[in-house]
Amino acid sequence: MATTSKQYKAIGEDIWKGRTEKTNAELFALTYGALVVQLIQDYEDYAEVNKQLEKMGYNIGIRLIEDFLARSSLGRCADFREVGEVVAKVGFKSFLNITPVVTHTAPPSRPNSTHQQGNVAGSSFVLTLDENPLAEFVELPEEALDGGLWFSNVLCGVIRGALEMVQMQVQAEFLSDVLRGDESTEIRVTLLKYLEEEVPVGDD
Amino acid sequence: MTSRPLHSPAPSPLAPLADPPVRLVDGAAMDYLLIEAVNALRASSAVAAARAKKIEQEMAEAGILPLPPPPPPMKPQQSHRDSVGSMTSRTPATSPDNEEDEGVRTRLEAIGLHVGGNFVERLCRDRPLFGDSLDAIKFVCKELWVSCWDKQVDNLRTNHRGVFVLQDNTFKPISRISSWQGRSEALKHAKIYVALPAGLIRGALARIGLHGTVTTEITSLPHCTFQIKLPKNS
Repeated sequence: MATTSKQYKAIGEDIWKGRTEKTNAELFALTYGALVVQLIQDYEDYAEVNKQLEKMGYNIGIRLIEDFLARSSLGRCADFREVGEVVAKVGFKSFLNITPVVTHTAPPSRPNSTHQQGNVAGSSFVLTLDENPLAEFVELPEEALDGGLWFSNVLCGVIRGALEMVQMQVQAEFLSDVLRGDESTEIRVTLLKYLEEEVPVGDD
Repeated sequence: MTSRPLHSPAPSPLAPLADPPVRLVDGAAMDYLLIEAVNALRASSAVAAARAKKIEQEMAEAGILPLPPPPPPMKPQQSHRDSVGSMTSRTPATSPDNEEDEGVRTRLEAIGLHVGGNFVERLCRDRPLFGDSLDAIKFVCKELWVSCWDKQVDNLRTNHRGVFVLQDNTFKPISRISSWQGRSEALKHAKIYVALPAGLIRGALARIGLHGTVTTEITSLPHCTFQIKLPKNS
């Protein structure tokens, strides 16, 4: 039973409305911004800061997914296309109250493939964020632009961490960011491979 | 479906632009961010400290600075994550540990200062000026506390000479801290985490124009006391 895009939107809305604990988004944005500034001061290297933000996001993602699964009680996604829909319409909505637009891209496939494209490694989707709650009050200085800082890189880490916990190894990266002067803010998530469920040692 | 008149006296469409509804994000997202922020800051403060030490060392070798005393044996960095708790285990405070904690605490306070100052600017946008410092403190106790932590301060005391004591019986940022090692460990973690709210209050007051100090005291979670000392002439 395929869930339509509209149904996912509704699920996302419900979860968001059902959440009792909400924080002021400005507080969130200011805290994240100050944290990035501090990391830049400490590492003095924008590539390293990108890495640390991604790592931080990964650690957040591996916990966040539990919360998400508990709240949403959604089953396994049928294919990577569905993953994209769920991440955008339910995931982002329930935590950040935004709904990025999803654009699916088929993997570079062989011309005569008849099987489901959505499950092949190489499938990807692009999330286009119309609004970014993290970047609410942010303007990047020249050096950060030249240095290649991806301000909201934590989001990539969160996606990577969360999906890894549901047995998908993905690569999430920013393609463009309005903070950098680009037209839009886009994150591309590419499926690398499905991970095998590992049975803990000693379990038989 | 009835048709509405084109020029209805309904609220102007510009109203939401002038007074935007409060944007919200999920509380859990903020909690996760803070937990991981502390870990990230611990790592980054270690990097910054190591770099500073290296520069000192180089300058000492070049003869610019006198040689520093031999450093105490460094504890290997623990990066192992505990699946249950948010903090790895800590051995009793040795010198490198304390330096680390200090580094994290100063950074958290700096973040708090930034957040508090800017946040209070937005909160005070339509407010008239504060009459005196007591008014400002009351604003902090009520409106700032509510906007940040969904409740008001439980008790405010002052000696009317610039010292204010704010008590919160269930302070939200520390209300959920627990440690598998027991209450004393949880208390230790809370004392570090509370640096951010303390900085927030200090930053907020500074932006209002009151430059003082904020010290915290936690004897038992989640009860927390803030002591604000303002200079005498305000």
